[in-house]
Amino acid sequence: MARLRHHGRMEASLTLRPPRHRLDRRFITWRTLQAVLWSIGVLGTLGAIWGYAESARPYLGPVILAVAVTYAVNITVMPYARYRTHRWEATEDAVYALSGWLTREWKVVPISRIQSIDTEIGPLQRWLGLASITVTTASSEGKITIEGVDAKIAEETVDRLREVTAATPGDAT
Amino acid sequence: MSGPAHDSSRSTPAVVAAPEQSGSDDMSELTNASSSSAPERSGGDDLSEPAGEPAGPVPVDDQGWRRLSVRVVWLDLVRVVISLATGYLGIVVSDEPVWALVAGACGGLLTALLDLRRWQTTRYRITPERVEMRTGWLSRKHRTVSRDRIRSVDSSARLLQRLLGLRTVHIGSGETESSFKLDALDHRHAALVQRELMPGSSAAVLAPPDPASADPVPDPVPVARMAAETVIARFRRSWIPLNVVSVWAVFAIAGPLFALNWPLRALGVDLPELGRDLIGWDGRGPVANIALVLLIAYPLGVIATTVAFLLENGNFQLVRTGTAPDTALVTRRGLLTTRTVQRTDSRMRGIAVAEPLVWRWLRLARMKALSSGLGAAAGEATGGDILPRIRLAEAHDLAAEILPDGARPLEATLARHPRGALTRRLGMALYGPALVSGVMLVFTLTGVLPGLWWLLPLALIPVTLPLAVVAYRSLGHAVDGDYLVVRHGIGHRRTVALQRRAVIGWTVQQSIFQRWGGRMTVGVATAAGARHYESPDMSEEQALTFITKATPDLAAAFVLDDYAEKSGSPNRTATVSANHFR
Repeated sequence: MARLRHHGRMEASLTLRPPRHRLDRRFITWRTLQAVLWSIGVLGTLGAIWGYAESARPYLGPVILAVAVTYAVNITVMPYARYRTHRWEATEDAVYALSGWLTREWKVVPISRIQSIDTEIGPLQRWLGLASITVTTASSEGKITIEGVDAKIAEETVDRLREVTAATPGDAT
Repeated sequence: MSGPAHDSSRSTPAVVAAPEQSGSDDMSELTNASSSSAPERSGGDDLSEPAGEPAGPVPVDDQGWRRLSVRVVWLDLVRVVISLATGYLGIVVSDEPVWALVAGACGGLLTALLDLRRWQTTRYRITPERVEMRTGWLSRKHRTVSRDRIRSVDSSARLLQRLLGLRTVHIGSGETESSFKLDALDHRHAALVQRELMPGSSAAVLAPPDPASADPVPDPVPVARMAAETVIARFRRSWIPLNVVSVWAVFAIAGPLFALNWPLRALGVDLPELGRDLIGWDGRGPVANIALVLLIAYPLGVIATTVAFLLENGNFQLVRTGTAPDTALVTRRGLLTTRTVQRTDSRMRGIAVAEPLVWRWLRLARMKALSSGLGAAAGEATGGDILPRIRLAEAHDLAAEILPDGARPLEATLARHPRGALTRRLGMALYGPALVSGVMLVFTLTGVLPGLWWLLPLALIPVTLPLAVVAYRSLGHAVDGDYLVVRHGIGHRRTVALQRRAVIGWTVQQSIFQRWGGRMTVGVATAAGARHYESPDMSEEQALTFITKATPDLAAAFVLDDYAEKSGSPNRTATVSANHFR
């Protein structure tokens, strides 16, 4: 990057390239359903306490309000906003993913540092035909999880990644 | 180094002690073992190679198995005698038996007998490749750990063990489930084990001795290996004040007193009452009393921490040992309990320095060496400080010797983070307390919190604002030769220098506010040290330049260089996409 210094171009001449692939559109349905189920569970519990324990109402009132607003946003805005942001790719060199919503997070792990590759399919995901890919490294913060990929594509990707990592030497540290 | 020659001279017989092949079939019998101990003990080290025990399931010692010191039996016999005496006392001391004493005696007896059984069944073996231990009576355990996994060897002794010349040896591999506890060995054997497990000394360990050659041949290799030691740091008296002066010294005296309070209360001594009378608490106001207590407790606390520091760090030595390329750093420390921790150079990935805010004016620093490949919660073996607290300048000089390549990345000039980072910190210092205050106000309005408590967080702002400036001023990053350097922190300003090859991934984060301000937080994933190091709030340009300089090949896959594209130079991402499969 000496050339950059030389030309004195300090305005954003370096940018993060977005990863190539979007998630499957069913991701939106999946996260919406998930948020709805969670909101029923959490608000239901809090509401039950509100109903039965009168003395707790002064504490619970503001809490329930805040939780309700959070879940309303989580159900209506979050799934679509995340779908628009999340991106991923896997190449012969690296696994690269962009996730987040309010806070964006780019993560990259070179193939040679991958320790294990997993797919995970929860009950909702199975029903929708989705899968999550997890790439683990020697550092748990370096772990990449790509949620909401079409199950078949996830399977192919993981198989390919396993081949590539098996062919790459080194102990991943 | 006077140690090696001295030690090796007396340990040589132990290394090569020929196993007694004589068919002592009855050695497994406790009585025989203890009675035959007397002549053997005069020989000292003979016990390291136990006579065979064909009666038991343990293999005979021509495979290199050794057993615990026979003096463990004495220790157990002492315990048996004590238990019997207590039990006897418990029965005769009064008309009614004192059941607590009797029960204690029975428990002690049982423990001692079980311990004897443990002594009988425990065998350990150190081969050039691994360390093994077999133990257990009802459930047998055989534990094997590869030698290159071993990180620490501790040798400690309780009072009775010390009187009998015994040492408990703890061999740690950095993971709790694969450590050994040899309880207990003759102190010379303990020292021998500590030396045998030194990096680079694997050749010094004898292969399973050949039963045919009865003649012990001294092996010159250990001496030669041990001589290749360079001392990097030795205990200095000037370290003592730097390490014992602490804000928390008061607690060094308060803690034990607090712990002592309950047993003394059972005996009818009221410690708080006693202390109150002693200093005449009731004659003064609370402020004067607290000041007086601090005035008395602080020097006592300092004395207590001094003793603790000397016990733990006395005889401190940091050396580099072994022959290239199989070299390692070894720290030895401790007066009563000696700790030996080794860090193989080939796993060394960097170095970190933490400067506590309170002692910044003294330029005090703690230093850690970052090694890869072991569990994060590995205690001193990977996570602990490599040196006691020292002055920063001294730390910088030592760091150059600690790093195998002699680099001085900790002194690199760090790039300053953008002004926005300061604004953000000042903002957090203001709206953090304001937010807490607001939440408390809501609860005040619903009637949960009384009065004006909700104003309290706002009173913290005069403290949080200067801390925000401190936080901003400690931000910094650089790429210096083979190292990347990041620095941040308030209470402790931490500077981390990590080898560029140790980067196993990048995490770049951008919150909404950071997006508006054009800033990014860069996280480095690594297999060493804390596994994750961060440099918050770089400018976007700084962040991506940092990543590109640290890992040019990896950055090519995801950092776009607009300038390169516009000027028509070969597009690096095009070559990447050819390899792209999903």
